[in-house]
Parts: sequence; structure tokens; C-alpha cells
Amino acid sequence: MKKSLRWGAIVAAATVTTLALAACGSSGGSSTDGKSIKVVIAEYSKDHTKKFWDEFKKTYEKQTGVELKLQVISWNDIDQQTSTMVQNNNAPDILNLNAYASYAADGLLYDSSEVLPAATKADIIPAFVKSGTYKGKFYGFPDLSSARALFYNTELFSKAGIDAAPTTWDEFVTDAKKVEALGDGNVGYALPLGPEEAQAEFAIWLFNNGGDFKEDGKWTLNSAANVKTLEFLRDLNVKDKVTQNNPGSTNRTDGAFSLFEQGKAGMVVGFSPLQGALDSDHPDVKYAIAPMPSGDGAEPQTYGVTDYLMAFKKDGNKDAVKSFYKLYYQADQINKWIKSEGFLPVTTSGLKEFADDPKLKVYLDTLPNIHLTPTDDPEWDKVKLTIQQNIGLAVGDNGDPKKFLDDLQAQAEANK
Amino acid sequence: MRRRRRERGTASPVEALLWLGPALVLIIGVVLYPAITLVATSFSSYSITGLRKGDAGITNYTTFLTSPDLPKVVGNTAIWVAAVVVITIILSLGLAQFLSKEFFGRRFVRWAVIVPWAAALVISSQLFRLILDYYHGILNQALLTLHVISKPIDWLGDPHFTLPSMIAVGIFVTIPFTAYLFVAGLNGIPGDVYEAARIDGGSPWQIYRAITLPLLRPTLLIAVVLNMIYVFNSFPVIWILNGSNPGFGNDTLITYMYKLAFRSAQHDVGLSAAAGVFNVLLILIAVAVYLRFVNWREGSKNA
Amino acid sequence: MSTLTEPTLAARNTALLKGRRRTGWKAARRWVMPLGGLGVILFFIWPYLVMLFDALRPSGEVLATPPTFFPKTWTMDAFAHVVTDPAFHNWLRSSLVVAVAATIIVIVVAIPAAYFTARFSFRGRMLFLGLVVVTQMFAPTSLVVGLYREFYDLGLINTYAALILTDAAFNIAFALWILQGFFSAIPKDIEEAAALDGCSRVGTLFRVMLPLTLPGIVTAITFTFIAAWNEYVVALTLIQDDALKPLTVGISSYVTAYEQNWSQLFAASLIAIVPVVILFALIEKHLVGGLTAGAVK
Repeated sequence: MKKSLRWGAIVAAATVTTLALAACGSSGGSSTDGKSIKVVIAEYSKDHTKKFWDEFKKTYEKQTGVELKLQVISWNDIDQQTSTMVQNNNAPDILNLNAYASYAADGLLYDSSEVLPAATKADIIPAFVKSGTYKGKFYGFPDLSSARALFYNTELFSKAGIDAAPTTWDEFVTDAKKVEALGDGNVGYALPLGPEEAQAEFAIWLFNNGGDFKEDGKWTLNSAANVKTLEFLRDLNVKDKVTQNNPGSTNRTDGAFSLFEQGKAGMVVGFSPLQGALDSDHPDVKYAIAPMPSGDGAEPQTYGVTDYLMAFKKDGNKDAVKSFYKLYYQADQINKWIKSEGFLPVTTSGLKEFADDPKLKVYLDTLPNIHLTPTDDPEWDKVKLTIQQNIGLAVGDNGDPKKFLDDLQAQAEANK
Repeated sequence: MRRRRRERGTASPVEALLWLGPALVLIIGVVLYPAITLVATSFSSYSITGLRKGDAGITNYTTFLTSPDLPKVVGNTAIWVAAVVVITIILSLGLAQFLSKEFFGRRFVRWAVIVPWAAALVISSQLFRLILDYYHGILNQALLTLHVISKPIDWLGDPHFTLPSMIAVGIFVTIPFTAYLFVAGLNGIPGDVYEAARIDGGSPWQIYRAITLPLLRPTLLIAVVLNMIYVFNSFPVIWILNGSNPGFGNDTLITYMYKLAFRSAQHDVGLSAAAGVFNVLLILIAVAVYLRFVNWREGSKNA
Repeated sequence: MSTLTEPTLAARNTALLKGRRRTGWKAARRWVMPLGGLGVILFFIWPYLVMLFDALRPSGEVLATPPTFFPKTWTMDAFAHVVTDPAFHNWLRSSLVVAVAATIIVIVVAIPAAYFTARFSFRGRMLFLGLVVVTQMFAPTSLVVGLYREFYDLGLINTYAALILTDAAFNIAFALWILQGFFSAIPKDIEEAAALDGCSRVGTLFRVMLPLTLPGIVTAITFTFIAAWNEYVVALTLIQDDALKPLTVGISSYVTAYEQNWSQLFAASLIAIVPVVILFALIEKHLVGGLTAGAVK
């Protein structure tokens, strides 16, 4: 008996020592000495992201004398890594992410009055300021933007006897059917409703049928128009059969986009990076870009997205953060990065600078009136996740669009 | 006085600490603290951002245990682990026999068998995801060309095929490790045992069943237990092959746990930690049950 | 070496006993086995041949619909790009440092522990073995948050040391179990003979026991090296600097949502497999051996 007690005591002592060792050192990571800031950037591309930010780091350090610790994380992992940092009270000073409202709601962020130059705020496109504003304060500073449009394969179209891009949903279905009829593995419309970015695809159709996620501050997820939209998408798959196999399990990068890049899809909703990929890797695919077809006869709506560069409140880092934004929003910095990644500007001055690029004209014209998802509501972060994870089931053979949207609406309202 | 071959000497705990100390320090130091963090997290309430909001008591556990998707996920996990472990063990036993024989080119075969193990699981999974793809996959292309099928099969998206495809890939990447375990184990069996058996005149299969398998028992035990644990905790294969599918219908407990934290409506790391603790307890019980079962059989044999 | 002559000896014996029936198989064996070997080789490497050909075609062709097994356009661009990329060199170096160090630590730590556990009873023996197995049951994904916290408090975040220690800790269990099994299987007589010859406990361990457990050691080395080489989520969490990232994390940047370099991804992955196969090729002959290496006799 004595020996086992001794053994147990040894193990216990080891445990306590380990815990003590681990607990020593400050667990309060929410203060800094202002001598360094940690910047976490999402990896948009291997070739351009790190390159720009390494140079930015050098410029910043030279200008301010503050050390800039840079960490570039893949989009696949950034959510988990950010959560790990926040859980350990060790959030970065600047974070590049595709959501901000939940962080603002938790009181973690600086707002524009504290860290953003007034001139910059005035320069940012108003639609983006609005979507970055939570409870009257501007927290979500945009880093770059993108806009979606309808891409169509001109060769397939002419083969199928279609001379113009569709402007109504009925025309859209007819055109898609004509492309399908060409056979040879050609798909009318590549519809990505897999877990990657399903909410984006859903959003652009939804906006063009007179619907929205929120109206007048209330959730309208299961409005009649939205249900019709989702049923339309389901019909594309099940009834009209003009989509690729299993849209609910198709993502963009290795599914919908790649089909279009191989010249096997008549139409797809794309954005400027897709253009870049087509032009450099798939020059044999002849395509054109058109506004989205309308479901309710109204003007075509463009759907856009911005990501955010938000700043975490910590004692002592305000000045360093201010200098960061001052430098980043200089035209020669922000626009240089946006151009290299192939995205769209977020400032009115940027719009002018990008205006001489003919390839981007179709997006730039729509940017000021762009329609965005309600990223200013923390509840949207959860709604978005549900759409991403589950909408694919709703457009399958056994899918029930109305039930899906009803459940979604209930979820959004339950947490109000 | 006859001594049993495997009798152990006795030693004091102090001496034990000396020999085991470094291992203990490393294991306890590195694994124990995060394990405690996991448990603490499971009893806390978190915001979607990862900010700790306060204590949660057992709500994370009750939420997790009553989630409607859980039964399917547990079922998937059971099938996944059982199928991969059993089939892998059987195939690896055969392969190990083969790799232990002398023949021309054996060296190259051994190198080839190491390749799936040497490749990162993430990369192999990504590779198979492309191979099994409906449109871009070489498998469908081959089967169509050989007229085995007339229409492509949705190996990853069709619920009938998703789990079998994942199991097949799981087996493929697990065989090399298991086979080499058995190769090492087989080489631990003294050769005179075989010589005696053959002189006594037994068929190869009889020798295998009566001599080899029993002598492989310790290695078999390690192989089953370790594989149970690794396959249960295996993340990349399921995550990547199931990555385009909506819902939770093909998830195992380990990917479900991850989704609870980062891909579901809850986006709750506390809930995910409760799932993590549940997973550890589950595999612990499973291994304990297996060990008890094996010991029981061995005990009753010697009686 | 007796495994070489064993089957032939036995076969000849049986042939003498059972008549001519066996000689047919013995003759056919010389080409049937290598043929079977070829089949096995193809079975295990065919997906990686697909990967090789994907690395040898332009990135745009990788997702071709319908796909072709051989590239339509052959190009070494992907390999050239990867091999000349200084980032890739950094990743490779990181992976080598971490994997080699972790393997060394595991072997050095596990051998004494396995020997002692196999040979001696002591209070807490079962507890120790149980603890070792239980630590294997925690999925790394569950532990990263705590690991991050622990190493942050120790000031070891973003260092090789953190990753090496973690990889070592995660893999000790396997090395311990397998070596323990091998040590247990060695008959007591051998140890006693060594003791009679005047060997200390440590000396016995090194000069007598270890050579007999070589297959187990080789397996443990292979397992640990591969596990450390291919580890992803812990490396992702503990390492922030690009210069310190290992291959697994670095390679994931070839394909993003906005820019996909499939052929480079596969070229880099293939290159990453090479060091492991080389290591294995160097040590695999020691998988043979053990008790038949003429120990007691």
C-alpha cells in the first residue's frame, strides 16, 4: 500500500509541476507594450499575398519603428486559428477575416473613430461602410472586394443557337436546356451549392428575385420570394435538369468553376479571379460576362463581397494600429495589393484608379450600388454557416426548400 | 528449479522513475495540460468568436448528446472503424507473409508498400478526391472506357457510395503501417519453430493457424488497438472526401466535432470540446472492451 | 539469415517426404513471386502515378473533363517551379529538423522505458502503460488549443522546440508498446548469460538486447519519422513564421479558393515523399533479424 501511495504521489507531483509551469507567464495577453503588433492575413494566393505583406511589413517597420509580426494563414484554417488565439486571450492586433460583427458584438474591436483616418472613411465606398457598421459604429474595415456576374461560354452559346445572354429566368432555363441538348457532357448551368460558399450563390439569385435576407431590420429568410428562388434552384437540378450532377455537393473551385474552365458549362456565376484563371490557364475557352438574369423583371442586382481588416482592442496598441491603417489605405499600398490579387477596390478613389482596366469595367460600374449580405448582424455569421452546411440538401431530389427556409428563419429569430 | 521464461524481476518505484522518467515527463507535460484544457473548455460557455463567456455546467454535454445528427454520426463511426480495422488487419496479415518471403525484387515491393504511408494523409486524401470525382476523376473515366459502367458514378456525393469510398481509401492508407507491424512481428518468431512444424508434416495453412497466428498474438493486439484509435481519430480522409457534401450524413465523430466548432450554426468550441471528451471516453471504452474480450478468451484457453 | 534457408530447407524436407508434388511449386515460385510482387507494387503506387502525371501536366489540365491518365501536354514547369522556390527549401528544412529530432528523442526515451517495463514489475506498471495508451486517444484537433496555450506560456510558441516536443510526446506510446513487446519476447536466459559474462544492466541493454529488438526499433523509427513528417494541425497552430513552417503546412498554400496550382501541389507532395522512402530504404533490411540472429546458440 505504501508503495502505491508513493507512486501516486509522484505522478500527482509531476502533474502539479506541469500545470504550475504552464500557468506561469502572463495569461493576460490583452496588453502589449506598443513595440510590436501581430498581423494575421488570410492567404488569397500563394504568389501574391505574402509578397505584398512582406514588403508592407518592411515599409511599416521603417516608418514607425514598431515590429510587425506577420502570419499568413490559409482560408481553410484561419477560422480555427483565430478561434484558438481568441480562446487563449491572445488575439492578433490586426485580423483579416470574412466576418467582423460577432467580434464587434463581443466588444473586442476598435471602431473607426479610434483608429481610422477620417479621410479614409470618407473615401470608402458608402455601401461598404454601411455593411461594416455595427450598432452605429464602423468596425469592419474592408480590405478588398469582389463582385459576381454571369459568365457564359460564347462558343457553346453559338453552337446552341443562342445569340444573347438571358435577361429573365425563363430565358435562362431555355438557354440552359439548349446547351444541355448539345450533349457530349456539356452542362447548361454549373450550380455550386456545396458547403464552401453556398450562401454566395444563393444570395445572387435571391437578390434578383426581389428578395433579401433582411429587410427593415427584420429577417425575411423565408419570404415568399426567397422560397420561390430556392424552389427555382431546386427545379434547375431536379425538374429541368440543366445543372451538373449533384449541385448540393459541388463547390466552386474544383466543381463549378473547373467545369466552366474546361469549356463544359454553358454558364456559371463567376468573379474576377475566375477571369484571371481563364485568361492565364485556359485561353481556349471563349467567354463573355453579362449581368444576372432577373426573376421579377426588376433591374439586375449585383452581389458583392468584402473581407475585413479589423483591429483588436488592446492596451497600448492604438497608435501602432492607427499607423497601420494610415499606411494600408494609402492608394499605392491597398490598390497595389488588390491589383495583384485580381480583386476590386473598396475606395471611391480606387474606383477611378481601376477604371482604365477594360476587363473590370463590368464590375466597377455596379460597385457603388452593390448588394451585400447582412454582415453587420452577428446573427448572420450563424445563418451563413447554416446555409453553407445545409442548403445543398434542400436542392436535392428529396429537398424541401420551404422547410429549409422556415427552419432557417426560426433559427435566426430564436437568437434575437 | 524450473523458471518460467517470462518471469519479471521486481524493482522499486524510484528506479522505475529513473528509467521511465523522461517518457513520463514528455507525455504528461505535453499531453496532460491540453487534455485538462479540453475538459475545462467543455464546461464553459463560449461566444462564436471563441471568447469565453462563463461557466456552462453540463449544458454542452446535454446539447451534444441530444443533437439529432448524433445517432447517424455514431453509426457512421462504428462502421468506419470496424470495416477499416478488420479488413486492413486481414489484408495486412497476408501482405506481411508475402513481404517476409525471399524473392527477387522484394526490396522494391517493400519500398512501394511504404509509399502510401510516407505520403501525408492530407495529400493522399486530396488525390483520391480527384480520382473519385464525378467529372474529373480517372476512376469513372477508366470504368466508362472499359464499359464496366455506362454512366459515371458519384463516388463521393451519392450517399450509397460515400462511406464505402471513404472506407476503401482508409484501408488503402492503413495497410502499409499494419503490414510492417506484422513483418516486424513475424521476424520475432524463431525459425526453429517452423522447422519443427514442417518436419511434423503440416500444410502451410495449418502451420499458419496453429503456430504463426498464436505467436503473432501480441503484435495482433497492438495492431488492432492502435488501429482502432488511429482510425477512430482519423480526420483528413473523411474531411476531404466528404468535403463537398452538405449536412452531417457522412461525418464520423471526429469531423462532426470539428464541424460543431467551426462549420455549424452553433460554431461553439465549448460544444465541440464536450464532443471531444465524449470521443475519448468512447474510444477508451471500446478499447477496454476489446482488451477484456481478448484476455477473457486467452484466459479460458489456458484454463 | 536462417529465414533465407528456412523455407527452402523445409520445402526440400517435405518434398522428400511427400514426393514430387512440391517441386513444381518450388520451380514456379521463382517467377510467380516476383510477378505477385509487381502486382503489389502497382496496387500501392498507382494513385501516386496519377499524382506524378498530374505534376507533369499544366495545372489547367489536372481538372480536365474527361481526364486522361497520361498528360496531353508534358511539362516540367511544376517541378522546376517547386524545386527553385526558396519557400519550399525552407519548408523542407523545417520538416527534416523536426522529424529527425522528434525521432531521436522518441527512440532515446522509449528504449529504456520499454526495456524496464518489459522486464520488471513495479507498482504502477499497469498504470503507466494505461496512461501511455490513453494519451494516444486524444485527437490532436482537440488538443491544439491547450497546446497553444501551454507553449505560449512557456515562451516556445513559433519555435522548432515546441513542435519537436509535441511530435515526440504524441509518438512515444507506439514506440513504447512495440519495443516493450519485443523486449518481452527475449528469453531470460540471454540476459542471464550476459550477466554471467559480467555485463551491467545498462550494458546488457545495449550490447545484447538492442540488436535482438532491431525490427521493433526500425518500425518505431519509421513510424515516428513519418508521423512527425506528416503532422499538420499542431504545426499549423504552433508555427507562425513562414520560414519555420514544415512541408505539410507550406504545401497547402498551392491551392486556395482564388488561385489553384494543382500541378505544383502534386509536384511538391511527390518531392516530400522522397526523404521518407530514402530513410526507409536505408533501414528496412533490419526489419529482418531478431531471435534468429544466432543469439543464444
